[in-house]
Amino acid sequence: MRKNRMFPAIVGASITALALASCASGTPEAGGESEERPYEGVELVVTSFGGDWEAALIAGVVEPFEAATGAEVTLVTAYSADALAQITAQAGNPQYDVVHFSGGQELVAAQNDLILPIEASALSTYDELQPLAVEGMADGYGPVIQVTPVGLVYNSEKVTEAPTSWTDVLDPAYAGHVALTDFSNTYGVLSMLRVNDALGSSIDDVTEGLTALGNLAASGDAIVVASSADLQAAFAQRDIWLAPYAQDYAETLRQAGLPVEFVIPEEGITASFITANVVAGRENPELAEMFIDFSLKAEAQQVFAELMRYAPVNTTVELSDDVAGSVLAADQFDTIERYDSQKIADNRQTWTDDWNSRISQ
Amino acid sequence: MTISRREPWLLLLPAVALLALGFLTPVVGMLVSSVIAPEGGGVTLSNFERLFGSEYYLGAAERSLRLSLIQTALAVILATPIAYIMSRATSWVRTAVLVVVILPLLTSVVVRTFGWVVLMGPAGALSSLPGIELLGAGSQGLLGTEAGVVIAMVQVLLPFAVLTILGVMSSVKQELEEASRMLGANFWRTLRHVVIPLSLPGIASGATLVFALSVSSFITPRLVGGVQLPVLAGTIYVDSTVGLDWPFAAAQSVLLFAGVILVIAATLRLGKVDR
Repeated sequence: MRKNRMFPAIVGASITALALASCASGTPEAGGESEERPYEGVELVVTSFGGDWEAALIAGVVEPFEAATGAEVTLVTAYSADALAQITAQAGNPQYDVVHFSGGQELVAAQNDLILPIEASALSTYDELQPLAVEGMADGYGPVIQVTPVGLVYNSEKVTEAPTSWTDVLDPAYAGHVALTDFSNTYGVLSMLRVNDALGSSIDDVTEGLTALGNLAASGDAIVVASSADLQAAFAQRDIWLAPYAQDYAETLRQAGLPVEFVIPEEGITASFITANVVAGRENPELAEMFIDFSLKAEAQQVFAELMRYAPVNTTVELSDDVAGSVLAADQFDTIERYDSQKIADNRQTWTDDWNSRISQ
Repeated sequence: MTISRREPWLLLLPAVALLALGFLTPVVGMLVSSVIAPEGGGVTLSNFERLFGSEYYLGAAERSLRLSLIQTALAVILATPIAYIMSRATSWVRTAVLVVVILPLLTSVVVRTFGWVVLMGPAGALSSLPGIELLGAGSQGLLGTEAGVVIAMVQVLLPFAVLTILGVMSSVKQELEEASRMLGANFWRTLRHVVIPLSLPGIASGATLVFALSVSSFITPRLVGGVQLPVLAGTIYVDSTVGLDWPFAAAQSVLLFAGVILVIAATLRLGKVDR
């Protein structure tokens, strides 16, 4: 029944959008005034990672965006890999306007022309952003909207002395209480690279890291999780004390009432970057750009930092002391060590095959 | 006369069209894409070479087949008595049992599986049962064990088995049972020589359905078994979404498909033999 009502609405909205897009080029600021809203009722489909992340997106971006433009945002839950698989399969007839990627998928998406490059001039926030947030735009990716360090999540009731090094995951004191992340999840690959580095190797030879973590899983001293939901279950029900993961979900777990803390090991800062991208082949790319611009505004960045501990990529954000103390500071951005994403992309399949053969029973 | 014979076929048309569009086309596409070389086309068997050359994937295939057969056997063994009782009970008992059987179907499989994750975890109720380590339970309880996967899957599959078998068992005439009892056969003998043989087509089709559902499911094996107990449906999902290697995922699907067809052919034969 809902379908019958929705269909004409969508068609109507699309026709209105087409007509308006062809004659009017309204600026979003002017659109705030009563009748001049060119995107009134236009639907914008955006991918979401669900849960608390979605709540932060709604509060920080969707609501202000809808209020300012009159557009209607539809959120569809799709993890990065699923979203990329979907827009690849839908090439020619994509169903999303904005996709969020957390695992570097924008690299592949841009290479296959599935996402559109964004011009600096399309972002009103451009001049306020960290250089790191926009450096990929020259290569055709969307800007980084959220930065979260990858480190160690630990149970503060069971682990009295906070871990300090990546090699602590290998410490026999934690045997049976460690959760590693599968390589199907980028955090798994990043933490393996980190452990590998800590053991004295480099990205060019990951045998040490793979062997150390592979043995840990194969011997039963560590379990292997694949998703953030698995991680939550691991800490809540599976007596897990220590897990390499990202700070955003550590914060989610903490807010869910679990006694967990997050620490960045002393070896250095590795981070995961969440990008927002405009999908190619949709009707309203400029509306999608506007949505992304809203994600980069100080107000949105503040909400992301408060709710999920994302380090603001907008330099004008002022955080309360409490929040500022637990997110990456602006001056730490320059010290983030990034692995060569092309090397990761080239080797990931080989590493994954190796990893799978080590851990499967 | 000729027209009246065509009419039933016309009624089939929508279903056939749907199957052709939603099933045959993708299956053919899958078969084709598994043997197409990535660059410039041409036929290649490289995906199958990789599949059959990998212990990991062969292990996943073997586990898929083995667990599905065990799950199917258990589901049918549990479902047959339930279906029998339902087919012979008064209508309100029957309705009550039906509700109990169908109720789990009304919740998402993910929710049900998370329930099992809690029960089977180290602190879960099941883990404190005496003798649970005989099923392979370790420090993580039944999580990460094949026994855990089988238990959770059988619960998911049971309603499908019960409903399919019930349909056929209800049509087995009670008079036949009475005749058998009157001629001196006891309850078990009647069950074995009258009821079960007559219900065999239903049991066979229930088993087929359960097997097909079982071998293609990946959510429950993934949540309960975890990534260390890979099944083919799970590796297909990961390779097609994370790896974006569709031809290789297609090759795995072809293997899975071939396995399902073989087992279905065998069960359907079993269903016919005794008729």
